[in-house]
Amino acid sequence: MPTAVRSKGFIALALLPALILFVVFVIVPIIWSAYYGFFEWKGIGATKFIGLDNYREILQDHIFWRALKNNMILIVSAIVGQVPIALILAIVLLKNSFFSRFVRSAVFMPMVLSTVVVGLIWGYIYNPQFGLVNTILEAVGLESWSRAWLSDVKVNMFAITIPINWSNIGPYMIIFIAALQNISPEIDDAANIDGAQKGKKLFYVTLPMIWSTVVVTLVLCISGSLKAFDHVMVMTHGGPAQSTELLATYMYNNTFRVYRYGYGSAVSTIIMIISALLIGINYILTRKKAD
Amino acid sequence: MELGTTRTTRTATASPGKKIAEKGLSLFGKLILLGYAVGTLYPLYWLFISAFKTNEDFFNNPYALPKEWKIDNIFRAWDLGDMGRGMLNSTFVTLTSVILTLVLGLLAGYVLSRFQFRFKKIVVSLFLAGLMIPIHSTLVPLFLMMKEVGLLDTYGALILPYTAFELPIAIFLSMGYMASIPKEIEEAAMIDGNGWWGIFGRIIFPLCTPIIATITILAFLRFWNDFSFALVFINTQALKTLPLSLALFSDGFGTDYALTMGAMAIAVIPTIVVYLILQDQIMKGMVAGSIKG
Amino acid sequence: MKKMQKMSLMLLIMMFIISACGNSGDNKKAEGEVTKKDDKVKLTVWHNFAGDDLRAKAVRSLIEKFQQDNPNIELDAQAIPPDGYRQRLSTVAAGNELPDLFFVYAGSHSAELYKAGLLQPITELADQNPDWKAKFLPGAFDPYQFEEGQIYTAPMGMSATSFLYYNTAIFEQYKVKVPTTWDELMTAIKVFNDNKMTPIALGNKAPWVAQSTIIGAIGERVTGTEWFKNASAQKGAKFTDPEFIDTLGYFKQLVDNNAFQEGANSIDNTQAEQYFIQGKAAMMISGAWSLTNLAASASEEQMKDIDVTVLPSIPGGKGDANSITGGAGAGLALSKRTEGATKEAALKLIYAVSGPDAQKAIAESNSMVMYDTDIDQSKVSSLYYKAFNLVKKTNITPVYDAYLSAESGEVINNGLQEIMTGGTLESVAQKLQDAQARAVTP
Repeated sequence: MPTAVRSKGFIALALLPALILFVVFVIVPIIWSAYYGFFEWKGIGATKFIGLDNYREILQDHIFWRALKNNMILIVSAIVGQVPIALILAIVLLKNSFFSRFVRSAVFMPMVLSTVVVGLIWGYIYNPQFGLVNTILEAVGLESWSRAWLSDVKVNMFAITIPINWSNIGPYMIIFIAALQNISPEIDDAANIDGAQKGKKLFYVTLPMIWSTVVVTLVLCISGSLKAFDHVMVMTHGGPAQSTELLATYMYNNTFRVYRYGYGSAVSTIIMIISALLIGINYILTRKKAD
Repeated sequence: MELGTTRTTRTATASPGKKIAEKGLSLFGKLILLGYAVGTLYPLYWLFISAFKTNEDFFNNPYALPKEWKIDNIFRAWDLGDMGRGMLNSTFVTLTSVILTLVLGLLAGYVLSRFQFRFKKIVVSLFLAGLMIPIHSTLVPLFLMMKEVGLLDTYGALILPYTAFELPIAIFLSMGYMASIPKEIEEAAMIDGNGWWGIFGRIIFPLCTPIIATITILAFLRFWNDFSFALVFINTQALKTLPLSLALFSDGFGTDYALTMGAMAIAVIPTIVVYLILQDQIMKGMVAGSIKG
Repeated sequence: MKKMQKMSLMLLIMMFIISACGNSGDNKKAEGEVTKKDDKVKLTVWHNFAGDDLRAKAVRSLIEKFQQDNPNIELDAQAIPPDGYRQRLSTVAAGNELPDLFFVYAGSHSAELYKAGLLQPITELADQNPDWKAKFLPGAFDPYQFEEGQIYTAPMGMSATSFLYYNTAIFEQYKVKVPTTWDELMTAIKVFNDNKMTPIALGNKAPWVAQSTIIGAIGERVTGTEWFKNASAQKGAKFTDPEFIDTLGYFKQLVDNNAFQEGANSIDNTQAEQYFIQGKAAMMISGAWSLTNLAASASEEQMKDIDVTVLPSIPGGKGDANSITGGAGAGLALSKRTEGATKEAALKLIYAVSGPDAQKAIAESNSMVMYDTDIDQSKVSSLYYKAFNLVKKTNITPVYDAYLSAESGEVINNGLQEIMTGGTLESVAQKLQDAQARAVTP
């Protein structure tokens, strides 16, 4: 079959440039970094092969487990927060009216802002002395609830998830809007003629149609949350007393602050392994749902 | 613009379903949305008013309008940060990387969404791995590698890694999007005598406007704002990009907020413009495109 | 199989292209770097005097002047954003691509670079200019003497980290005596708290702040310098000793008596300074950097009530109460790879930015120096002038993180936050002891 031959050439030529660039600049450094994970190395000077010692130490460090737990909080909040809100916004704002365009632009804006600005603003909102949250709580007579939201180790990790979710809804929204463009009006019409209710329509018509995109956003959520770094660095530096430490800040501190490059590399390898596991689980779960 | 009108007519006529959905948006719903929008716009507004304050004013009256509009902040930040050159470099690096990302990413995404071949699973997993790596851990290996091939301190030292790191997102988004384009379209085109390149270029690519716009926005933001790569891989002053200028006014002991805010206000404008232009493109679905026309 | 061959071929081609464009770049560089061919000496220097503050401007103008005075030296001076400086230097050091001269901090930063064999001494410069060397204050070269008789840089400034800043108007308003003893401090804290005034402003989000400004000063008063140096070296003293538990205990006393405003761990240093200068706190314990920051962001009106002194003494302590923690500041270090004419030029530049004139210029930019120099009072802020003279009269004692390993530094930083959030003194002391023991025994 001539098409088959032609398609082989096409596959190779269309895929290879991306693949090569990607392998050279991403995969090679990943492997390289994983390799450092087996060494005791300060990033400068002599290296010493120590096998799996770094990994052993990581797994015994309770800060690592706390960071992992914090990352899990982020993942869960992203999946139950960002994705549904972004999807609802995308559906509601699909129209091209002035109002929709305005809200759509507004929702995206936190994303264009530097994290420094986001951190400052939320620092003010959470400020224990004159912050918005405490002021409101006092105004409605819930003074006992007011606290130092970012320093109180019982609540600060949850307090941090809000700005992170708030910043990240924008991109997921536009991803969903792009995907929703592909639902052909005929199907939509058919669903309406059948008298499907809005909620039902969402679950039985819209969601399946854009399911592949939903899966992609979930993957982005998981991997993005495991790599999360900037917001925490700006808002709490991972503190106080490492209570908001994330895997990525843990890795960064070890690599660049205490000169344990090998250890830091091992941490990032572990981040990748966890990420791969979770994405694998996600893949299995979402595939079952789709069937 | 022309396409824009097509699109509007579509919402108006072709999709009664969505019209119903929109009608359902009650006044109450609109108010909630409006409130949310104000909440998300506020930081931007705050950035712009803060950019015109003195440091003293910035701290004493964080929410108020500037007591005295210090336009000087903007000019001083511009000069001290050498932001003109930073802007040019950032523009060049960002645009080149975005174009590369789009071309390579869409082609690869198309192949991976449409064809079955032997190493497909491996290739997909490789790209997936690219989503998971925290970039800070790649700095040293990338630095050493680029040093070996002499790529350091060139535009390539930014463009190539930027593109490579953004490829997974571009590929997965386009794969997800293309999965919902009916195969019949290509079969029809095949019968018309188009090769795969023709099909991709003439049929698929134009259908992908929304996802192209999406990828462009995400990639643009990432490249425009990247600090780590720009910090480490570029040495010559003449090649430095914008984010380095933004970090100049803060040391470990204190921050000159007047200048920092001034510089950030300058740097954020292009991203807003790009978003506003592209957000209309996201709405150009395939129905408005070439399928029937 | 064919596909594999094709793929590897493509890969090869790609690598070839990359290395081709790369090599051309390399050649360009190599041409420039050859010093023998053209008569100009090429010298590269990285520093982080990038901002708009007076000190950065002063140092930049010193470098510019050097450039003008030495037309035969082609100087490539790069100001790198301070926030990214360490990250950049670490990465580049890993690739052994350091410039001829680069800014290094006292303590573990320069020590690690030395241990990796990336530095060379500048002792000859000091030998050529004995008068210059003699005028440095005692201890100025301590952190940079990695070997007996060799110095690796000359400090361009002094870090003085534990001033007690106080607002005279607030002290008068509540009729409180400026504390000179620990008990007086506790009394003051109580009075201020009773009047809903924050006693001490602290911005400990970046957790080095409490360590650098408070714990070293308390430590000196309780344990004395000798004990601390021994504990750092793990010779005859341990961080689990009762002295150190006491030191942490005094810090905990401050925490337990609400000396700091709520949420001190989630605001940064600059915000705490503002909290203080706006009259919302009566005191602030901070370093000389606050002099610079306040000069840039506070009004005359606000500044006129501010005064500065040393921390109060602690009863029964073994150390020196008339002391401020501090030590040599950062300096320019010389890369091991720099030789010949370039090295000559590099030493010349070090002298240009840390010589007598430079020290005076830096001191007059409202920034402390580790050098015996007189300053023109009219050129500096009055608060700085007070602090400058205060430092002359007091002893300089160690800042903890200048002596601890990088890891131990992080441990005590986080440990103080732990105490502020309810952690026990013993566990913090134990962690610090473990980390320092690991660092000392290789």
